[in-house]
Amino acid sequence: MDLTLIVVLVIALALFFDFTNGFHDTANAMATPIATGAMRPRVAVALAAVLNLIGAFLSTEVAKTISGGIIREGSGGVQITPVLIFAGLVGAIVWNMVTWLYGLPSSSSHALFGGLIGAAIVGAGLQAIDFIVVLDKVILPALIAPFTAGVVAWGATKLAYWITRRYDGRPDGRGGFRYGQIFSSSLVALSHGTNDAQKTMGVITLTLIAAGIQPLGSGPQIWVVIACAMAIALGTYSGGWRIIRTLGRGLTEIKPAQGFAAETSTAATILASSHLGFALSTTQVASGSVIGSGLGRRGSSVRWGTAGRIGLGWLLTLPSAAVVGAVAGLLANLGPVGVGIDLVLGLAIVVYIFWRASRNRVSSANAVAPLPVQGRSDVAASGKVVKIEKVKPLKRQRPKKESA
Amino acid sequence: MIDWAAFVVVFAASLIGACVVVALYALGTRLLAVAGRALFVEPVEFTDAITVLTPERAAKLQRKAEKAQRKNPLSTGQKRLALAAACACFTLCGLAVLYGLYLIIPFFHQ
Repeated sequence: MDLTLIVVLVIALALFFDFTNGFHDTANAMATPIATGAMRPRVAVALAAVLNLIGAFLSTEVAKTISGGIIREGSGGVQITPVLIFAGLVGAIVWNMVTWLYGLPSSSSHALFGGLIGAAIVGAGLQAIDFIVVLDKVILPALIAPFTAGVVAWGATKLAYWITRRYDGRPDGRGGFRYGQIFSSSLVALSHGTNDAQKTMGVITLTLIAAGIQPLGSGPQIWVVIACAMAIALGTYSGGWRIIRTLGRGLTEIKPAQGFAAETSTAATILASSHLGFALSTTQVASGSVIGSGLGRRGSSVRWGTAGRIGLGWLLTLPSAAVVGAVAGLLANLGPVGVGIDLVLGLAIVVYIFWRASRNRVSSANAVAPLPVQGRSDVAASGKVVKIEKVKPLKRQRPKKESA
Repeated sequence: MIDWAAFVVVFAASLIGACVVVALYALGTRLLAVAGRALFVEPVEFTDAITVLTPERAAKLQRKAEKAQRKNPLSTGQKRLALAAACACFTLCGLAVLYGLYLIIPFFHQ
């Protein structure tokens, strides 16, 4: 098959993957400020998009191996060919679209790993995969990341409420946490831009090198950097409103102090993990933070059903993307006709998912609007103005000291 | 296998980092409230039906809160001290954000 044609196809797919990565991960940074009303939804995603764009240019340290050592590359292992990358990308994109349809925040890098693993198994058999590395880099971090972030966010939320709590009925000024949220979520968005656009740049650069168009060991070309930055920014701006809905109001009801604590925990955990050599997924950290902050505030509750669905999504991400990647790899190995079938099938799935999504559209207008809850009054559920008389704050009843 | 020592370091660093920043911001907020200048930040968009207020109602609540603040038992000097401490807290928070930027942007630490 014509080498340049498959290279062009891979670049197009990689950029589309970058786009889905962007709209998948907007929620990590912007779900909580949107949910607490710190920023208007459109403003929040625009800010995230700009910061992702800037972030993509800040770092040019491109991932040297896109598979992170999971696939045994080089001699005795698998040759990373453009066809293999093509099949892997199909798997990653399809899984990203499916999780988006169901509003599940799932790691885009795990989807990419999964797709590549599936394609590599088809190409070279099971021995092509280093399963110890899979356990080490994908499965254990998926358990550790939400736990770490959850504990950190729980502690931070407790602390924030404990420090600002007043018993005398005077204003506590907790609305002021909304200002803080703008900064903490911006940090998360910027760090996302410096990390995630790199993956796509790495994929494209490796493809160009594998095709012999670019010299071995050279960095990404400037048009690759610009294209990837634009794709991720565009994806971020289009805002995965379904995932924002899940993180912003599906897991727990978020108040400003909680939102600030969650975002700060996400930023702190990601920065610590990326600088102390223990990589954790941004998506999993952000979801864990939201759950932790939900546990940390008195009188709030976490919807464990939703949390369970998200966890199930994480478990399925790698194998599902691998299955799609494997099927795509099988077809692609048939030659140009197979690649054509892959493209048509992939396009059909993406179009079908967009069509399904348009039937119950989630947009900036209704992403975090209150859910019509059974048993609650229609007025409360409608979100229209309701008058609620402020109840006079009760004097706290201090427990009488018992004599020893 | 997994590097548990690195994990413990990451866990401790994120816990301390997040708690220090959140505590500083919360302390700043609290001190502003103590100084009689509690922040009133209304959400730009109301997202939950229970918190929906008309602008008049919000203004009324704010006046009520301001009235409560005027009955502040602290002396002017104490209020100024609280205000200065609040500013210090927020400045430290700002520095933490700058440190975050320093960590994010590879240009600075390479």
